[in-house]
Amino acid sequence: MNTSFLLFALLNPLFALLAAPLYMALIRKVKAYAQGRKGPRLFQVYYDLKKLMQKEAVYSPTSSWIMRFTPYLNLSTLLVCSLFVPLVFVPEPAGGLGNIIVFLYLLALERFFTALGGLDAGSAFGGMGSSRSMSLAAVIEPTMVVAFAALAFVLKSLNLHHMFALTAGTVLPISPTLVLVSISLFIILIVETGRLPVDNPATHLELTMINEAMILEQTGKNLVLLELAHALKQFLLMGILINTILPVGLSTEIDAGKIAVSALLFLLKAGLLAIIIGLFESALAKMRLFRLPAFYVMAFFFSALTILIEVFA
Amino acid sequence: MIDPLFLEGIIKVLFVFVLISAGLIISTRNLSSVLTTYTVQSFLLAAVSFLLYLMDGKGQLLLLAGLTLASKVILIPYFISRIEEKIKIGRDLHFAYLEPTPSLLLSIGLILLSYTFLSKVFEGLPLSKLFFFGAVIGLSLTLMGMLVMFSRKKVVTKALGYLSMENGVLMFGLFVTELPFIIEVLIIIDLIILVMLTTILAVGMDSSIEEYRQKFRKLQVWTGVESQ
Repeated sequence: MNTSFLLFALLNPLFALLAAPLYMALIRKVKAYAQGRKGPRLFQVYYDLKKLMQKEAVYSPTSSWIMRFTPYLNLSTLLVCSLFVPLVFVPEPAGGLGNIIVFLYLLALERFFTALGGLDAGSAFGGMGSSRSMSLAAVIEPTMVVAFAALAFVLKSLNLHHMFALTAGTVLPISPTLVLVSISLFIILIVETGRLPVDNPATHLELTMINEAMILEQTGKNLVLLELAHALKQFLLMGILINTILPVGLSTEIDAGKIAVSALLFLLKAGLLAIIIGLFESALAKMRLFRLPAFYVMAFFFSALTILIEVFA
Repeated sequence: MIDPLFLEGIIKVLFVFVLISAGLIISTRNLSSVLTTYTVQSFLLAAVSFLLYLMDGKGQLLLLAGLTLASKVILIPYFISRIEEKIKIGRDLHFAYLEPTPSLLLSIGLILLSYTFLSKVFEGLPLSKLFFFGAVIGLSLTLMGMLVMFSRKKVVTKALGYLSMENGVLMFGLFVTELPFIIEVLIIIDLIILVMLTTILAVGMDSSIEEYRQKFRKLQVWTGVESQ
């Protein structure tokens, strides 16, 4: 473990944790504008989290340790994940961290415990949400694996740190096939963070909710942890997409000025991506549950094409 | 003079976008989106042809780019969009044999098939990697257009499938065969398409093939006798 990595381990999760909720708010704001509303202030999300933090956690009498444990596990898993995706600068590689397979399994672990937490309270909604989430997971997991395999194929490494060290410094994506992978990554981002047309994060309607149903029984600071974990997941997936398609400005050296510029540029690029996501969501209606696999297959199609092109061309 | 390597890079990017457009034509249900995707695909082909002209300097390629731009990017989409306005249906929701999801999976197989097939055919020929890959994409685009034709029910989407198939032929021609011949073929094919479109326009494109035949019978188009 070297100093560069220690600095990274300190800065990267902190940066991700602080900035992540802002982009949830930004997407909400863009959607509000698209619908002709003004929407809440950008920093309202931080006030909400602070308010929730002061509230008492209430548990259902049927719930077990899983419900108490899930929020902590989710946030800590996502914080570990944030060590895998360089956002402010690319550190010198340290053993095992950055491995894409571990990253995917950590995301799967988080998803599994969210579903368990949804079941644990014993309410009808939680069970419904968990069941939907798991059946969709069965379809999206292989797609995710193929998409990340395609990414690994193009960038010739299984390690996210190596990949981003390769792309850092270039303005445009280093291979045209990265355009194809980025479409898959965008679809995965939409699906994993439960956005339209897969899930509607802004509703508590029984017919549409998937992610909301699973955390419906969580209250107080447990809810804060889950919300933060959700925001963090979205921010990290956005980070992977941005560093793949538009890596300009990502620093590979430890230099205060360069790191600051790199972080600022990343915030700007993430802002742009959040606006695109907001507009994308505003343009689409919620899909029927049984039509969702068609949406995922698009991601699968593009990732498989990438692998084909990389092998042949 | 522009660096040929840079041009090759851009052509590869365009290949990627052509494949994306083919995937979208297979899976989109919204008629106007299918038409827009087709227009973009044709524009991409015109751009590829123009870039090849910049690389080779052959006048026919420039002619081909102009012809594609005029007919497939402007004229044919204009005709079809007029038709779409008239028939007043926005979406093609009926699929025969294959839904979009299996169609997309099948088209991955088709690309793989055309690669294997063409690599056998072109074995030993002095074809550069870019040209070989262009031929593979051309052939797979043709097959994917065919897939659209037989998996969709509405005539207007079938016609777009046919047009996209013809785009595949053009792409294949650009990268493999002799040019003056292919230009002539293209002009004829374009004319046929135009005639076909206007014929269909006269009878009504808002129907499936079965309904369409009934409409034909009702109108007695071929005998010239009005039905009761």
